[in-house]
Amino acid sequence: MPFPALLLLFGAVLILQSTVLGFITVYGIKPDLILLMAVFNGFLLGPRQGAFLGFVGGIMADLFTGSYIGMNAISKMVAGYLAGIFGERFYQDNALVLSGVTFVSSILGLLVDYLLLHFLEIQVTIFYAFFRVIIPTAFYNAVLVPLLYGHVLRFMKIKSSEP
Amino acid sequence: MRGATAKRLFLLAVLLATTLAVMHFTVPERTRSVSLEYRFRDTLAPVQVGLTWLSGQVRHLMSLPVSTVRAGARNQFLEQEVARLESQVVKLTEYKLESERLANLLNYKHIVAEDYNLLAASVVSRDPGNWFGTVSLNRGAVDGIKENMTVLTPEGLVGRVFSVSSTTCGVLLITDPRSGVGSLIQESRISGVVEGTAGSIGMARMIHIPNNAPLEIGQAVITSGLGSIFPKDIPIGEITDIRSEPSGLFNSADICPYADLSRLEEVLIITSVNT
Repeated sequence: MPFPALLLLFGAVLILQSTVLGFITVYGIKPDLILLMAVFNGFLLGPRQGAFLGFVGGIMADLFTGSYIGMNAISKMVAGYLAGIFGERFYQDNALVLSGVTFVSSILGLLVDYLLLHFLEIQVTIFYAFFRVIIPTAFYNAVLVPLLYGHVLRFMKIKSSEP
Repeated sequence: MRGATAKRLFLLAVLLATTLAVMHFTVPERTRSVSLEYRFRDTLAPVQVGLTWLSGQVRHLMSLPVSTVRAGARNQFLEQEVARLESQVVKLTEYKLESERLANLLNYKHIVAEDYNLLAASVVSRDPGNWFGTVSLNRGAVDGIKENMTVLTPEGLVGRVFSVSSTTCGVLLITDPRSGVGSLIQESRISGVVEGTAGSIGMARMIHIPNNAPLEIGQAVITSGLGSIFPKDIPIGEITDIRSEPSGLFNSADICPYADLSRLEEVLIITSVNT
């Protein structure tokens, strides 16, 4: 995908994330669509692609909020890279496998977020961080995978068949 | 010839007499005539019922193809109508809820008009992540908004303005881990600090409460006015859980904010405090 188109796509996803997704929260938690995109990309196209997309999407999310620029970029880059490593080792044509990979990658990406929050001296108690943010967000992301997997796979196949 | 005429006249007379007699006996007020009518009706009733039923069935059978075609079209029309009306009901419900919320804000504005100058604002967007609790409002520098202005709803404290652009402003919710509000427990007047836990949780906690202070679940927590950002006596929330801090010297209490921070749509900004 051309880089400007990618930026536009991220912009649209971020607008969705900050508006509509606020209405589908479960216990206050909303899914992280940028992280999902990084994980999908990494899992299907490899660690480098996952890390790149995660970094670009994360930077855009940071610029969107206007604070702690680089925090989302690093955590989503890690999640995309890890999903890429898992993608090289697991069977790719199975939504459940990707669900599991998304769950684990999200947890690790959000753990990086947590460490960066500590680095920035923003105190979130470990109980709240794990049981009220990290695990619920990772679970919500993983649940969305089977709903999106078919569409993403079809899109990827169309893109790869283009000359 | 004369005999035939007489016979005809006689028959006519008999007919007339019979008719007159029947007329006489079938006057409605008379019970005899009623019973006669009833007898006729009772005798004919089963036949009439049968015929009526049969006619109905035939008519139904004959008109079935036509009515089926019409029913199909009508059903389609009604389905569209139901969908249109359902959408209208949703829209009207939304208007009703919005009107109720705005009426509450207006009412609250009138109640606290002596204490504060308030400006109503709508939530435009929220923080895209789950760690922080921030929202953007549709009021900015052109509306006189400045940093650290207090944001609230009629239910309670929401947060403070932390960034201002010309037409929008960012609000740090009291549930954001970067937020700290000087507060006190309404009943016992014990002071502490209410700080956020994580944006998505929708909870805050009051820390540094001396461990000998009487604490109870359900107690109200209000702003203390210390720290000069938030005015005094704004309700924050109620205590839902009490814990001991690791140092052992203090307790902390989980606070459920009175304002529903996950469903914020309209808020009020305190632009100035009347002294």
